[in-house]
Amino acid sequence: MIRELEKLISLHDLDIMISDLVNKDIVKQEKKLGLSPDLAASQLRKLRDELSLTIDRTYRDLYDQLAGHYGNAVVPVINQMCSGCFTQLPTAFCASPDRNDRVETCPSCGRFIYWCD
Amino acid sequence: MERLCLCKWNMSSKNWKSAVSELLREFSFKTTTENLLQTALETRELADPTVIHEDIAIPHCRSILVDDFKIIIGKSDKGIPWPKEKVNVIILFITPVKPSGPSEHMELIKHLAKALRSGGAEKVLSAGSPAEAASILKLKYEGNPGND
Repeated sequence: MIRELEKLISLHDLDIMISDLVNKDIVKQEKKLGLSPDLAASQLRKLRDELSLTIDRTYRDLYDQLAGHYGNAVVPVINQMCSGCFTQLPTAFCASPDRNDRVETCPSCGRFIYWCD
Repeated sequence: MERLCLCKWNMSSKNWKSAVSELLREFSFKTTTENLLQTALETRELADPTVIHEDIAIPHCRSILVDDFKIIIGKSDKGIPWPKEKVNVIILFITPVKPSGPSEHMELIKHLAKALRSGGAEKVLSAGSPAEAASILKLKYEGNPGND
């Protein structure tokens, strides 16, 4: 998998972690376990900013737009279908053996897509 | 619903990063997926180590790279620095990202918090077998090679 795509997936996972750590119910449960979700969230924001700066600006800006619009900017392709908008992707699009070696977006919704290996 | 889990008894790792890696290997993910999950879990630990109770760590994250709950209980008699305090039991879990939001992730944290309270943590630390540890945490041990 191309490094830029890996970074976009990691950025997405980081955004999920940060959003979980500001979710009131999760914060309550994490505190019950003795964790410090507030501290973790602020540290993760710093790490997110660092990672974000290493991503090509075009992809980074598109990621932010998509995340703002849909909530999720990166989705896997499952059964030749974009799991963001559930549009069937063209066969030729999915058949390429090096499909994860370039950053692709769904032709319908525009989300970044990747194929589970 | 009883959730399935794997176990890794007698872990050989000597630091927390290799412990995460040792546990992730048990799921037999493909290389890229395993590496990305390792990165996600390491990032969470770097932000704030997930040591709960004495001797127990719970590295966890939600990720688009899994489509179902992945839970594994690891045990090391010698202890693994996490990164300072040594832990003997590691409960690693990854929950999928679903359109319904983080409710299932929250439910799992709640479930573990409940199971570890009122003496549960001590019981897990002294569990003699993977099945016993899973049972204390109210999980169902799936059974993985070399752990019984």
